[in-house]
Amino acid sequence: MRFVIRKILGLIPLLLFTWTLVFAVMQVIPGDPVNLMLAGVPASEEVRANERKRLGLDRPIVERYFHFLGRAIQGDLGEGFRSRQPVSTMILEQARPTLELAAGGLVVGLTVGLILGVIAGIRPNTWVDTVCMVLALVGVSLPSFWIGMLLIWIFGTMLMWVPITGRGFSALILPSITVGLFIAGGFARLVRASVIEAMGQDYVRTAKAKGLPPVKVVLKHALRNAMIPPVTLLGIQIAVLIGGAVVTENVFARPGLGTMLVEAVLAKDMPLVQALIVYKTAAYVIINTMIDIVYGAIDPRIRVEQAA
Amino acid sequence: MGKMRKTKSFLMSTAAALLGLAALAAPVSAQDITVIWADDSTSDVTFDPRVTQSRHEEQIIVQVFDQLIVADEAGKLYPGLATSWQAAPDGMSVTLKLREGVKFHDGSPFNAEAVKFTFDTIVDPRTGSQGAIDMIGPYDGTDILGPYEVRIKYKRPNGGAIDSFTENELSIVSPAAVQRLGNQGFAQNPVGTGPFRFVSWERNREVVLERNEDYAWGPEFMGKEKSRVAKIIHRYIPNNATRVAALEAGEVHVADIVPALDTKRLGDSGRYKSMIGVAAGLSFGALFNTTRPPFDDIRVRQAFFHSINRPRLAQNLYFGLVKPAFGPLAPPTPAYWDGVEKYFPFDQAMANRLLDEAGWRPGPGGIRQKDGKPLTAYFPVLTLPDVAVAMQAEARRVGFDIKVENVLKQKQDEVLMANQYEMAVIRWVSNDPGVLAIPFHSSNIPEPGKFKFNWSRIADPTMDKMLADASAAPTAAERTRLYGEIQKKIMDMAIFLPIHDQVQTVVHTAQIEGLRYSRGNWQVRLVGAKPAGR
Repeated sequence: MRFVIRKILGLIPLLLFTWTLVFAVMQVIPGDPVNLMLAGVPASEEVRANERKRLGLDRPIVERYFHFLGRAIQGDLGEGFRSRQPVSTMILEQARPTLELAAGGLVVGLTVGLILGVIAGIRPNTWVDTVCMVLALVGVSLPSFWIGMLLIWIFGTMLMWVPITGRGFSALILPSITVGLFIAGGFARLVRASVIEAMGQDYVRTAKAKGLPPVKVVLKHALRNAMIPPVTLLGIQIAVLIGGAVVTENVFARPGLGTMLVEAVLAKDMPLVQALIVYKTAAYVIINTMIDIVYGAIDPRIRVEQAA
Repeated sequence: MGKMRKTKSFLMSTAAALLGLAALAAPVSAQDITVIWADDSTSDVTFDPRVTQSRHEEQIIVQVFDQLIVADEAGKLYPGLATSWQAAPDGMSVTLKLREGVKFHDGSPFNAEAVKFTFDTIVDPRTGSQGAIDMIGPYDGTDILGPYEVRIKYKRPNGGAIDSFTENELSIVSPAAVQRLGNQGFAQNPVGTGPFRFVSWERNREVVLERNEDYAWGPEFMGKEKSRVAKIIHRYIPNNATRVAALEAGEVHVADIVPALDTKRLGDSGRYKSMIGVAAGLSFGALFNTTRPPFDDIRVRQAFFHSINRPRLAQNLYFGLVKPAFGPLAPPTPAYWDGVEKYFPFDQAMANRLLDEAGWRPGPGGIRQKDGKPLTAYFPVLTLPDVAVAMQAEARRVGFDIKVENVLKQKQDEVLMANQYEMAVIRWVSNDPGVLAIPFHSSNIPEPGKFKFNWSRIADPTMDKMLADASAAPTAAERTRLYGEIQKKIMDMAIFLPIHDQVQTVVHTAQIEGLRYSRGNWQVRLVGAKPAGR
């Protein structure tokens, strides 16, 4: 418990640091928010001055920094430059489709990754292993936009089995596979390595010697102990997904936090960028803390070490 | 392995069940229809016509709002919310009689108060208008002459006033709704008098509109029958390939900005119809920096212009769907002058002669030289790098070495403000020939920190005066004449090379018909859509 509290407290200076860093970077990168916003219109100087004032860009940089920060501490992250809506509302709106895709991608990624990894791990250096690892390699190496396009072409346009865009469960299938294949690739390779290692351990030999059926040996004894490295990777993947899968969102015309962040950065929409980065940083830390706790559940030896 | 097999078969049966359930867009039925539009953006932030500056937002606005005067695709004017109008001979005001019996979607009445409220709030800085404020011109106020009669006054003569009332940005908003929702709320819940009322908006996913059952005041050219479109679903599909795939899979009925190759393929299949709209405003063209060598010499600019075979370029890149451009204004723009079509035909011999005269001699590698310096020019491009590269290849044949760089907007802004470029492409959609002031008036030369659009950096007092006179012309005929002279002057100065028409490529399923471009050929009015042949 103390461990969790320490992690959460550690989040505060970290958030302040990222906040400041993002603020500084946004000042340095070229482009003026008002220009970017008005790029397509014959806006007069009057319009530009109005906008500058509305966005608070007419104030000195130090004042702006503390103004943003002061409001943020009170829980008000401000309004988006372009949308003129509260950024917290905007993020909440986009969080749902992002979480849907993250969940879908994880289900596909874990299932496929686990199956490929275990099959390859219990038959190392056979043709089965080679086939599984080539599939894993394909998953990690092929760019998402290409896999996405291929899936759209086969299942959307040719076979017309699933909708390409839209909302609801059926429209989540293709994007989940696109994201899932990438996760599955890396996951499968780690599972394979861990299973191979675990299969050589004493406790597996003991289990086998006791005459347990092979399935039970693999799933109960070997796999459980082999899960630490894959779970670590999983934590990172979840955090990435929660931040939004930009390319997949674009290909399948899904709303999401990834697209929102890219657009916000390109438009130099400061309040939105700040809020999104804070959200992402917090997500990383919280998920990694959760993964640390999961270690203990998977492997009782870790719990013993912590207690000691 | 038993457990694993079970898992697998479970997955398969789940997948099969899901696939069976997959719902595709309903086919177009005989009676009322739903039209699903696929838009190429994800950037919509407001549907308040007074605020918008985005053609994507206007695609919604044109369905939800009405304008005082409506123009058909050819630019002919029809009564809209105003039944008649009269411009004062001095150009200082316009008097309009308004239609009676019109209601906003919230039930509040349309009247002179609504017009005054809309225009007064456009010029209020608190509204944060980005487009309408410049379109409304030198607005000085609205006099209410009666419940259905207004006089719009200007600080200076405004010959463009009547045209300006056809713009989507000057659509009339419901004062009651703005007062109830506030400007921010109204931007998310627009209330107009148009053929469709706003229902919902899920950001970056879709907007839903429903037919306004009371709508009986559409412009004459749209026909008097009730719209067959009960519902519009406006989806955001930014990826070109996905948008086309969704159209082919029947998930959407209409897609905008379809790439040329797909437009041709889909059109050839017979199952789709394409609408190629030539946008009014500036042609897609290049501005040449007259303050830096080599284009500070008019002969070098003329040589460059003659070296480009524009008809061939348009044919090769757009399969004949897009026509070459000849003047600074696109043909559908009011006051277009067709004299431009005689300028700068493709003529390599002429280009070579002009370069010889200017002192640029053939040098190593086919690149011309003068005083030991090669004939090079830096050409940053934001979009359509293929056009820039095609021009690069053509100009190379007469000895130009053009350095094309595909840049991000931020980088483009920097080099343009710092005057570190020799040429740059511009495009601008507008129904107002006054758009010419944007790239050609001396007050619009970019400076450090001030991004503006006079990228040829031409500072010509005569030009400035001509632009000012034309924008203050009291009558439309005078305005057309003055803008014609300006177009001639721009061509004579050889500062703008028109490349091709700026087009909107909308493709829709052949199952529906009756879609029409609104003025400027950029937004599509969906009110007239109906099942094909019925």
